[in-house]
Amino acid sequence: MIEFNDIAKSFASGAIETEVLKGVSFKVGKGEFIAIMAPSGTGKTTLLNILGCLMKASRGSYLFEEQDIETLNDDQLSEIRNKKIGFVFQTFNLLEKTSALDNVLLPLVYSDIYPPDAQKKAVQLLAAVGLNERIHYKPGELSGGQQQRVAIARALINDPAVILADEPTGNLDNASAEEIMGIFKSLHNQGRTIVLVTHDLGVARQAGRVIFLKDGKVDKEETLK
Amino acid sequence: MKIIRIAHVSLGAISKHKARTFLIILAVVVGIATLTVIVALTQGANKIILQRINNFGPDAIMIHSGGGKERGPSTVSEANLTKKDITDIQDINGVKLVSPFQVSLDMPVKFGNKFTTAWVFGVEPSWEEAWKRGSSKGAFISDADNEQLFKVCVIGQTAAKDLFGDTNPIGENIMIENVSFKVIGILEKRGQSPVGTDFDNLILIPFTTASRRLMNQPLYISMARTIVSKPSQIKTVTGQIRDILRANHHLADTEEDDFTMSSPEEITRMIKGTSQTLNIFLWLVGVISPFVGGIVLMNIMLMAVSERKREIGLRRAVGAKKKHIIFQFLAESLMLTFAGGVFGVAGGVIVAFLFHLSGKPITITWQPFVVAFLFASLIGLFFGIYPARKAASLDPANALSQK
Repeated sequence: MIEFNDIAKSFASGAIETEVLKGVSFKVGKGEFIAIMAPSGTGKTTLLNILGCLMKASRGSYLFEEQDIETLNDDQLSEIRNKKIGFVFQTFNLLEKTSALDNVLLPLVYSDIYPPDAQKKAVQLLAAVGLNERIHYKPGELSGGQQQRVAIARALINDPAVILADEPTGNLDNASAEEIMGIFKSLHNQGRTIVLVTHDLGVARQAGRVIFLKDGKVDKEETLK
Repeated sequence: MKIIRIAHVSLGAISKHKARTFLIILAVVVGIATLTVIVALTQGANKIILQRINNFGPDAIMIHSGGGKERGPSTVSEANLTKKDITDIQDINGVKLVSPFQVSLDMPVKFGNKFTTAWVFGVEPSWEEAWKRGSSKGAFISDADNEQLFKVCVIGQTAAKDLFGDTNPIGENIMIENVSFKVIGILEKRGQSPVGTDFDNLILIPFTTASRRLMNQPLYISMARTIVSKPSQIKTVTGQIRDILRANHHLADTEEDDFTMSSPEEITRMIKGTSQTLNIFLWLVGVISPFVGGIVLMNIMLMAVSERKREIGLRRAVGAKKKHIIFQFLAESLMLTFAGGVFGVAGGVIVAFLFHLSGKPITITWQPFVVAFLFASLIGLFFGIYPARKAASLDPANALSQK
């Protein structure tokens, strides 16, 4: 469902152009749980931004459910992000002063259709990540692990085709990190497609397949299960 | 509806950032209130000016004895108009009537132990038509009063109140200087003259009685009021009167007029001339202050945009299009300026009313409300669009990575 063909990305800073990705190719099938493993500062976030349709590649082609992403305009990309992609960030990125419930409902603000049972669905998602007691808590009143669970519930509200997670355990202690990875694994077991980007080999190894990036290129792949 | 959901986001942002909301609304309130007060005050002043011009009469030409510019009434001591002047003016084509009168300012008037001073006019019965003003009660000065030099008077309402309070003056005798006059009527109320003097502190007596018994001016006439058949004739008639008076008074070409004429046009010019500079200044303040409110709005909204970069990035990541972000921030600006507009008009009306209590004329019509509404919306749009576009133009990936 995801096909990266020779994707490259360079950034210009003044006269100097830095090529961060130098032709990356890989595929992700439906229902797969893959990890992209790369040391910090090697284009990991850039890759995720391109995957998440937040940024366009300088070269190469990106097919998402057989649609050529590079040909879409800004509004069409927004729609893809809204309907097809669920983001989970390292820093959670929840809206402050806003309840967990409203944070989960955020993507629906921009949906064409607001399902009548949205509220109920959001409560169920929060319950599924173990936060049924805290739906009205604001991010400041929740622990890091709890905040990340809210973010996962938010990523699921629109039933996305893929969940993109950027170092989802990077800001968490070991116990919380394990809980979050547990949630990802159970989502995978329910048939969700998950792409997780990390620099932590221990985290990467929990996915079904690991793609190793080095110097802006795919270094090797490892299938674990 | 998506648009309502986004407007709800804007409303949420307004209620979550209380200090920012307060500052923006305050700035807009000050601007709109200033504008409202100024609209109310200038409209009030304009109404008074119109009223005064109306009091003067749109079809009247006033002829004063003595030269000079823009003057008050001419008194008997400087009177130089003659009976012949009056009959000659009467013969001009387009003149409906000429009513000569004698004027003595601030004469002492007494009834019992009450004193006051009033303007005393010696008038003919034609005065009533010339000023469109007769007795509201009792009789007016008649031809018989003039022929027989009767010592009767029609008293203006300010003078009547000063001397008689609430009792009926008709039939009583008052002393003007040391001459006793019988009150035969009460003059209709008129208000202020174009230059702001009280037109009701007036006492009318017969022209002949004034000339011979009270003011000692049997030869000359202090003033005359001319009424033209059509207001459009004012200019030509004024010119003809000038020619006649100059000829009758044997003025050489090099000499200046020894009389003055005022017409509604001149009165309008005179009043507007003095108030125009002030009006321009007031309007400038009135328009600039909401503008300053707008600049404050733009500043604070720009700060809000850079503070909320991550939020904007997140919204873009979960599917907000550029237009949704523009709408969100523009709606925020508009809601704030609108709230400012509502409170501003309310505050402005209260301040205008305080001015009213201190005696300033104000007029509050629908206009301040419309002006405030328009200004508030325009400020919201004009000063809100830039921060909103700035927010929407942020690169989503970049905005998300902001600390």
